Amino acid sequence: MRRILLLALAPLMALAFASCGASSQVTRTDGLDPSSLPEGLRADYEVFARRCSKCHSLARPLAAGIDNDQEWAIYVARMRRMSGSGISDRDAAAVLRFLHYLVVAQQTEKERRGQTEPRGLATPRDAGEANAVQENK
Amino acid sequence: MIRTLALVLSIVTIALVSSRAWAIDRTFSGSAQVDYFFVPTEKGANARAIGFDGFTTELSLKTAVDFSDHLSATVKVCYGCHGFEADMAYVDYRFSDAIGIRLGRFSPTFGNFNLRHDPANHGMSDKPLPYDMGRMLRRTTWNNGVLPSPFPDNGVELGGTKWFGEGVQFDYAAYAIAGFKADPKALDLDFTQSRQPYYVDNNGRPSVGARTALTLRLAETSDLTMGASAMYGTYDPDNRLTYAIVGADVALRLGSTNVRAEYLVRREQFDVSDPTRFKYAIAPERGDFFAKHGAYLEVEQPISARVGLLARVDGLYRVGNVATVSELSYRSSVSRFTLGTTIAVERGLRVKASTELWKFSDDDAGGRSVAVGMHLSAVGSF
Repeated sequence: MRRILLLALAPLMALAFASCGASSQVTRTDGLDPSSLPEGLRADYEVFARRCSKCHSLARPLAAGIDNDQEWAIYVARMRRMSGSGISDRDAAAVLRFLHYLVVAQQTEKERRGQTEPRGLATPRDAGEANAVQENK
Repeated sequence: MIRTLALVLSIVTIALVSSRAWAIDRTFSGSAQVDYFFVPTEKGANARAIGFDGFTTELSLKTAVDFSDHLSATVKVCYGCHGFEADMAYVDYRFSDAIGIRLGRFSPTFGNFNLRHDPANHGMSDKPLPYDMGRMLRRTTWNNGVLPSPFPDNGVELGGTKWFGEGVQFDYAAYAIAGFKADPKALDLDFTQSRQPYYVDNNGRPSVGARTALTLRLAETSDLTMGASAMYGTYDPDNRLTYAIVGADVALRLGSTNVRAEYLVRREQFDVSDPTRFKYAIAPERGDFFAKHGAYLEVEQPISARVGLLARVDGLYRVGNVATVSELSYRSSVSRFTLGTTIAVERGLRVKASTELWKFSDDDAGGRSVAVGMHLSAVGSF
């Protein structure tokens, strides 16, 4: 039995350590890399990442494809009401500020691609453009 | 096939109606998990008695439509071991944050885990034993966990949330649902009847339940949620046999570390009109019920942007008489120790791997009481 247990644990640990090694060479894949965001938005992103990862992966909201602020406002309000969400009004405001950035980044990306391809997340260049849009508001 | 078609049509109808009439907001999300469960201790004689190995697939597709700040509708279709199921098909009307009403088919608010029951939302490939629905070893012997999750049912729920400042959130819900079912003179709940037509209560008497939870913000990056849940009803057509499920849960988030613990117990009456059906003599007092306890403690710790480690200890403990043919004893237990990892391959795609050590209080037909299982799965979400 001990041998079986060791055999069982070995691939698990190998997988974890192999992934740890690889992680230093790639960017954050579930959420966004905060360093790729405008400095003034990083605190809002941290609130988003902290609150919205409590019950689900960040891939869900980041890939939701929602492209307007009103829809996000209703969506976040619905999430805020979830049991134990821990999303206060102040948190919701911070989350919505980040999501507004996401909306602008997506729109920028959409315009760049001529509105023919599926929406994607902001590239560093798009992030800069979106930030400029946001700062001009 | 007809049921599947009806579910798909429901989703399409909601999507079309929402876009043409109110055209407010709708979101579409889903997940798919393929899991390979390998039980090396199955090798050898009489292996099928202790476990199984093979692939399982879980798929979910969800559409939520927000007609306004107050009104929303949700339909979620799941595909798993039982084929297609309607996990959610309900309408929410919210008068304010403090009070709202949910009507339709939904999993009533119970416990902490059920919020994360979708495979894309929990770190391990399988569920904690108190909520297990079909992935545990000796599943038929134990008849699953205490409250197999998800547990969609038809009914109505009132609930809301109340914030006190920025640091305290209080949630509450109360519901009436059709409740679990079984045939007359049953010895245990028959969970298959909850997911098969005819989707109508078998005894015309609703089961009722409630939950409250308190979330405290300990620091900017830490919070603590404590909850208590209860459900009560009758499950036989004659309304003679009762079940009551109570639970307590704690979820602590310290920075990036998640610690969760839950305890559930189900007290359930069974029919004792025929003593020959039981393995043990029926006690003259308090001999007409059993209690099934379940608990888990798990820790999730991200160790990099891509990799997370998980550890979980969970178990079940059953006290009470059993059927003559059951492999369980008057007092039976199972405990499981799990180590796992999740690896984000790409945004929306994760690999999960875990190893489990099982310990049973009762030997199987081959004289074994220990088993090892390994999960390897991939889960995608959008």
